[in-house]
Amino acid sequence: MKKFIITLLLAVLPSLMFAQTNSAFDKFEKDGVDAVVVNKKMFELMGNVKMDPKDKSAQQYLNLIKKLDNLKVFSTTNNKIVTDMKSTVDGYLKKYPLEELMRINEGGRAIKIYVKSGATSSQVKELLMFVEGGGPKDSSVLMSLTGNFDLSEISFLTDYMKLPGGAALKKASKK
Amino acid sequence: MVLTLVSCDQKPTLQKYFVEKSQEKGFASIDLGTGFLKADKLKLDAEETKALESMKKLNVLIFKSNGTNAAEFDKEKAKVKDLLKTDNYDELMKVSLEGGGMSVNTKGENDHIEEFVLFLNRKETGFGVIRVLGKDMTPQNVLTMVNLLQKSGANSGQLKPLMDIMKTK
Repeated sequence: MKKFIITLLLAVLPSLMFAQTNSAFDKFEKDGVDAVVVNKKMFELMGNVKMDPKDKSAQQYLNLIKKLDNLKVFSTTNNKIVTDMKSTVDGYLKKYPLEELMRINEGGRAIKIYVKSGATSSQVKELLMFVEGGGPKDSSVLMSLTGNFDLSEISFLTDYMKLPGGAALKKASKK
Repeated sequence: MVLTLVSCDQKPTLQKYFVEKSQEKGFASIDLGTGFLKADKLKLDAEETKALESMKKLNVLIFKSNGTNAAEFDKEKAKVKDLLKTDNYDELMKVSLEGGGMSVNTKGENDHIEEFVLFLNRKETGFGVIRVLGKDMTPQNVLTMVNLLQKSGANSGQLKPLMDIMKTK
């Protein structure tokens, strides 16, 4: 039983970090793609869970979760799908222009981050990240996150969950 | 006769699927009332009692892969996925990783959840659908229950087939 519960928790937690929102990317839910989708209802429910009030990072985590609407993450090493991801992202940006927050090349990986700003410049309503892997074993990641949150909170989340691109986001939020 | 016609008219539900499939070859099912926790032997605090009271029963349906029924696995998996959509479940989240996946679904409004459905699948081992039925369940209640299960050391033999599916790689 314990094992089952631990597996369940392990399965649930990472999924909280990965997710995408826009149906434009739903087609990537297929064979050869690792996907995680978390919907608003999940965030709402998770936000009501009591955590140790002394645990500051857990509290910060809860606060952030309440501000999220939808998270989708797709990850693949299949070249064909990567090409498709690229063109889908391009097409999406044409349809829904987002501001390019940053573009980084590091260790053969190309990271691009786009945002839709909210009321203030650090408030974000939508974040789209595309990490193109450098080699056949280096997976490419497409992540979409919507809600109403602060950039600095997201870098906290990526750290907490050890998501790809966390370092890049941290740099971005300090700008 | 009329009754039969009427019931045939109704759209398929996960409940019906459970009843149907639990009789079929290749499937196994488990029904547990919350009594299986032997809660009376444990000292429950108010929160745990409340959590326990919010749940009525646990239904589990398991399909076991045996190396020759891959086509059937795909078919039945698609059916369950379809039912989760057509039977008005809210999908909370889903994860798919190489060769398997899981999804968490609920029925009910906000904190008044009537049903939790956990769907796990893995090509090599099979799939499992776990339904937790209750009234006004909250996520907090579910977490409390998980702790309770650990405390009570519930007979894991009953749930072993399920854990076999969960075993990855």
